[in-house]
Amino acid sequence: MTGIVIAGATRTFGTVRAVDGVDLAVGDGEFFTLLGPSGCGKTTLLRMIAGFCELDAGEIKFGDRRIDRLPAHTRDIGMVFQNYAVFPNLTVAGNVAYGLKARRVSGAELARRVEEALGLVQLAGYGERWPHQLSGGQLQRVAIARALVIRPQVLLFDEPLSNLDARLRVSMRSEIRDLQKSLGITAIYVTHDQEEAMSVSDRIALMQSGRLEQVGPPAEIYRNPTSRFAAEFMGTTNLVEARALGGDRAGLVSLRPEALRLAADAPADWPQVGGKVAHVEVLGPITRFDVRLADGSLLKVATLDAPHLTPAPGAEVTLAYDPARITVLP
Amino acid sequence: MRLAIPHQQRLPLAIAALGFLFLGLFLLYPLFNVFSASVLDGEGEKFTFANYVKILGRPFYRGAVVNTLAIGLAATITTILVAVPLAFALARLPVPGKAAIIALAAMPLVLPSFVSAYAIVLLLGRAGVVTQWLQSWGIGFGSIYGAGGIVLVYTLTLYPYVLLPTMAAFKAVDVSVEEAAQSLGSSPRRTLWTVTLPIVIPAILAGGLLVFIETLENFGVPFVLAEDMPIFAVEAFKLFVGETAPNPSSAGVLGVLLIAMTSLVLLIQRRFLASRRFATGARAAPPILRVGLGLRVAASVYCWLVVLLALVPFFAIVVLSFMEFRGPVLHPNFSLANFAALFERSMRPLLNTLLFATLAAIGVTLVGVPIAYVVTRLRSGLASLLDVVATLPFAVAGTVLAIGFVVSFNSGWLILTGGPLIMVLVYTVRKVPFAVRSSSAILHQIDPSLEEASISLGRSPLQTFGRILVPLMLGGILSGFVLTWVTIASELSATVVLYSGQWRTLTVVMFQALEGGGGGIATAAASTLIIVTLVPITLLYRLVRRYELAT
Amino acid sequence: MTVATRGLALLGLILTMLLPGLAAAQKKLVVYTSNESTLNDLVFGAFTKETGIVVEPVVAGSGVVIRRLQAEKDRPLGDIIWGVSRSLLQTNKALFTPYVSKNKDAIPVEYRDPTDLWIGNNLHLLVILQNTKILPADQGPKGWDDLLDPKWKGKIAFTDPANSGSAYATVTMLVDLWGGGDAGWKKVAALFKNLKVLNRSSLVFQGVGNGEYPLGISLEYAGPMWASGGAPVKTIYPNDGTIASMEGIAIIKNGPHPEEARAFVDFVNRKDVREMILKATFRRPTRTDLDLSSLPGGLPPLQQIKLLDYKEDAWTEKRKETLERIKDMIQESR
Repeated sequence: MTGIVIAGATRTFGTVRAVDGVDLAVGDGEFFTLLGPSGCGKTTLLRMIAGFCELDAGEIKFGDRRIDRLPAHTRDIGMVFQNYAVFPNLTVAGNVAYGLKARRVSGAELARRVEEALGLVQLAGYGERWPHQLSGGQLQRVAIARALVIRPQVLLFDEPLSNLDARLRVSMRSEIRDLQKSLGITAIYVTHDQEEAMSVSDRIALMQSGRLEQVGPPAEIYRNPTSRFAAEFMGTTNLVEARALGGDRAGLVSLRPEALRLAADAPADWPQVGGKVAHVEVLGPITRFDVRLADGSLLKVATLDAPHLTPAPGAEVTLAYDPARITVLP
Repeated sequence: MRLAIPHQQRLPLAIAALGFLFLGLFLLYPLFNVFSASVLDGEGEKFTFANYVKILGRPFYRGAVVNTLAIGLAATITTILVAVPLAFALARLPVPGKAAIIALAAMPLVLPSFVSAYAIVLLLGRAGVVTQWLQSWGIGFGSIYGAGGIVLVYTLTLYPYVLLPTMAAFKAVDVSVEEAAQSLGSSPRRTLWTVTLPIVIPAILAGGLLVFIETLENFGVPFVLAEDMPIFAVEAFKLFVGETAPNPSSAGVLGVLLIAMTSLVLLIQRRFLASRRFATGARAAPPILRVGLGLRVAASVYCWLVVLLALVPFFAIVVLSFMEFRGPVLHPNFSLANFAALFERSMRPLLNTLLFATLAAIGVTLVGVPIAYVVTRLRSGLASLLDVVATLPFAVAGTVLAIGFVVSFNSGWLILTGGPLIMVLVYTVRKVPFAVRSSSAILHQIDPSLEEASISLGRSPLQTFGRILVPLMLGGILSGFVLTWVTIASELSATVVLYSGQWRTLTVVMFQALEGGGGGIATAAASTLIIVTLVPITLLYRLVRRYELAT
Repeated sequence: MTVATRGLALLGLILTMLLPGLAAAQKKLVVYTSNESTLNDLVFGAFTKETGIVVEPVVAGSGVVIRRLQAEKDRPLGDIIWGVSRSLLQTNKALFTPYVSKNKDAIPVEYRDPTDLWIGNNLHLLVILQNTKILPADQGPKGWDDLLDPKWKGKIAFTDPANSGSAYATVTMLVDLWGGGDAGWKKVAALFKNLKVLNRSSLVFQGVGNGEYPLGISLEYAGPMWASGGAPVKTIYPNDGTIASMEGIAIIKNGPHPEEARAFVDFVNRKDVREMILKATFRRPTRTDLDLSSLPGGLPPLQQIKLLDYKEDAWTEKRKETLERIKDMIQESR
C-alpha cells in the first residue's frame, strides 16, 4: 500500500497551463477524488500519475519512490477508463488475465486470480464471453476487474461512470467504493459530478484552471467552501451580499438552500428575511422554491416535503436561516 | 530543462528513426544519385540549372508536360464520374452479387498495363476485332490511339482506386445526419447532393489523387497508345535508357519535374483535406435504401456493366492465350501450344513472381505498418516529415528508382545488384505508401485508450503494439497485403531494369515475348499470372464478404 | 530457442539465400542481350546443349543493357554483350576486352573491330514493310522518295529515333540521300509529316503485321518473320538504296567467366549456327559464305541491293544535336 505525494506538478500545452504547480499528498488506502469542471486539469493530473503525460516541472512519488520519470508500464497502477477500453480482440477472461500475464503469472494461479477478480465484480462465469456480447455496465466491471486483479499500488479511475445510465451510476459507485475499501488500495478518482465525488471520496481536491481550489473531506468542502467557486461547484448555494440578509458587514456570503426555512417552521432565534415567492418545485422528498428579496436578489430554498407549509407562487413569505451555516467568502 | 526523451515517445521515435534510416538508404540515397546529374554540367562537376532551362525551353517537353497533365486530369475526372455512382450503388442500393463485384473490381490491377494496352489494340485498334465487327455493321468510331484511348484505358483500369475508399466512406456516413436533413424538409435527392456527397468528398479526392498520380507515372499505356504524342513518363524513360541517347542530366530533370508535379498535387490535397475533416460518429453502416424496381435494375446493370467492361482486356488475353500463334501471327484455332512453350522453357519465372511478391508484401507490411503507427500517434513535425517521405515513392517512376538502385548498390559496402534482394527492396519501397495509407486509416479508428490500458497493465509500448494493435488491425493489414501482393506480381517498370539471370519474373517474360513478337508466350504468361493472382483475390473476396456480414 | 531467436535465424537464412554471389561457381555464362527472346532461347539452348555451359540471360533494350554495363563497370556482373549496334559497341569500347575469334576470317573487315574488341554477327537492312491486306501489293511505294507523297499522311509507322538505333540510322541516312545539309533535312521534315512516330520498333512490326498501319519503316528480318507466320506482310527494298546496320558481340572486361565468354563468341558466328539462326529468325549474317536464296525467307543477296554509303561514325558523333533536331521536327510536324 502506498501514499502518493505530488509536488509542484506543472504541465503546459501551448499557452495553456493545464496543471499549474499542484502540491498534493494522498494517504495510504485513501479514496481521493479530483473534482472539477471540464478543462480544469484533473484528467491531465491523473494521466501524469499514470505516466501518459509528461511533467514540465515537479515530481510524483509513490511512497518514497519517485515515479514521474518511469515508463508508464513499470509504474504498477491499475487504470479504469471512461470508455472502458476493454480489448475487443480478447475474451472477458483474456482481458482480466492480460496484466497478470505481463507479470508472468501463469497456470492455475492465473486461472484462480482471474476467476476471483470476476467474482469480485459479480461477473463469475462470464470469462468466455466476448466484449461485444456485454452491456456497458458489464464492460465497466470487466475494466475494473482487469485493473484490480494485478493488485496495483494505485488505482486510477478516469470518469469511469460517465457513460452509464443514472441508476447504474449510483449502484456502481458504491460498489467501486466498497471494493476499494475492502482491498485497501489507494485510489484516485476523476469526475466532474460533485454528487458522485461526495458519495465515494474520503477526500476531494476541487480543481479549477489547473490549480487546486480546495482540498478536504467532502462534508468540509461542502460546508466550509473557501471560495465562491467552491461554494457554487459543490451543490447549490445562494451567493448573496451580507447586507441583503440584514447583516452590517459588506461582502459575499454563501447560504445553502437547506439552511433556509419558512419562519413558521424555524427556531425562533434564527434571523429572518422577507420576500415574495417566485417559483415552486415539488420534487417528492424535498420542495424547492425561489424567493425574491426586497433588493431584487433571489434566494433558493429547499425544505423537506411538508404539504401544509408549501407556499404558493406570488405569496409574501418570511424566511429564517441558520446563522451557523453562513459562510463568509473572501 | 529536460534532455531525456519522454518515455511514451520513445517507441514512436525509435520506429521513426528506423523508418528514416530505411527510406533514407533505399529511397532518398538512390534518388539523390539519379538526380544529382540534373544539376551538374556536362563534365559532371559544376552545379548548374542549365539543364532545367534547356529542357523547359523546348516546346517538345513543354508539350509533354501539358499532354500528361491534361490526360491525367481528364482520366481523374472520368474515373470519379464512373466510380462514385458505382460506390454509392454498392454501398446503399440493393444490387445482386455485391461481394463478387467488389472482388472483380480489383482484377484490373492484376494485369500489367502494357498487356492491357496490347489487348485493347487487338480489340479496338484500327484493325481490331471489335472495330472490324462494328464496321461490318456500319458503325465506325474514332481512333483508340491518342488522348481519348489513353483516358479510356485509365478509367477502366484505375477506377478501383476511387471506388474502394468512396464506398467505405458512403458506408461510414452517419445515417442520422441524412435523417436530420430530411426532417428539415430536404428531399432524398437533395439530401444526397447537399449532405451525403459533401461528407464523402475527402474520400473521393483521396482516390482521385491516386488515379492522377498513377497516370503521371504510368508508362505502359501511353507507350503503346500515345502513338506520337509526347508523354512525360515515356520521354523520361527514353532519356534514361533510350537506345540512342541516354542522357542522364536531361532524364534527371524530367524525373525531378515528375516528382515536383506529384508532390505539388499531394500538397494541394493535404491542404484541402486539412480544412475539411468531417468525422461522423456512425455506429453502424447506414441501411440499404428502398428504391423502385426501375432504379434497382438500372443500378444493377450499371454496376455489372462497369466491372465487366473493365475486364474485357482480361478475357481477351485469356482467350488469346488458347489460340494458335505462328511466330508473332495470330490464327484463330484452339491450341495449348503457348502454355507448352512457356513452361517448357522454365517454371522459374512463375516461382520468382510468387517468391518476390510474397517477400515484398511482407516487407511492405513490416515497414509500412510501424510507420503508420508513428504518423498517427506521434504529434510532431517529425511525424509529418516521415509521412511526406513515406509518400514520396508515389511520385517516383519505377524505372527511375530502379536505376538509382543500380547506380547506388553496385559497389561499395552494400552490393545488391545481380541478386533478387534488390528487386524485393525496390518493390517494398515502391509500395510502402499504400501500406502507410491503409494502416493509418485503420489506426485512426482505434481508440488510443486501448493502448493506454495495456500499458497501464504492465505491457511495454512495444508489447502493446504487438498484442493489441496488430490483432486489431489484422483484417486491414491482410487486405492491404493482398492488394500489395497483386500489384507487385504485375510490376514491370522497375523489374525490367533490375532482374538478372535466373531471377526474371512472369512480367519480364511477357514483355520480352511481346517485344520479340512472341504474342503466344506473352498471353500464356499473362493468363498464368491471372490464374495465380486469382488465389489471393479470392481470399480478399472472402474477407470482404465476412466484413460485409459483420457490419 | 525462443520464438524471437528462431525467427531471427530464419530471417538470416533467407537473407543469405537472397544475397548475390554466394552460390557456388559453376560452368555458366551471363549474357547481356538486346536480342528478342525467340533468338535468345534458340541460341542459348543450342549452346548449352553443346557445351554444358548454362547461360543466364539479361534481356533488355540495348539502351538499358548499356546503362547497366556502365553502372556496373567497377564490378562487372556480365560476361558478354550481344545484339547491340556497331555505334554502341564503338562508343563503349573501354568496357570490353579484346579476343581474336576463330571466325574472324569469315567476316568482312568492315564488320569487325581492328583491335578485336568486338565482332559483328548480323546485318539489319533498313526496309519498308507493307500490309498487303489493307494496301494491295502493287500500290505500295518503291522507295524512300515515294513515302513523301501526302497520301500516306498518318499511314506510315516509324520508331522514335531517341529509342532506336536503326530509326536514327534511317533518318540520318535519308538526310544524306536527299542531298545532305539543310536540303536533306527539309525533305526529312516533309517525310515526318506523314509518319506516326511510335515508341518502340516492335510496335512497328506488330502495327503493320496486325494491320494497324499499311506501311512501316523497319528492319529487314521482321518482314519474312511475319510473312512466314502467315501475315500479309511484304518487304520492300527501297529502289533508291538503303544501308546495312551491323549488330555485334563483345566480351566484357573483367567479367566473371572469361573462358566461357570466348567459347560463346566463337559459337555464335559459326557457319552452322548462323544458318540455324537465319532459318528461325531471318537474321542476315555478316558471314558471306551462306547461300541466302536457298534458305527460308528468301533474303536477296547483298549484291542485289543498292547499298548507300553511310557515315556512321560522323553521325554517331553528332548524335546529341541531331536527336534534338529530330525531336523539334517531330513536335513541329504534329
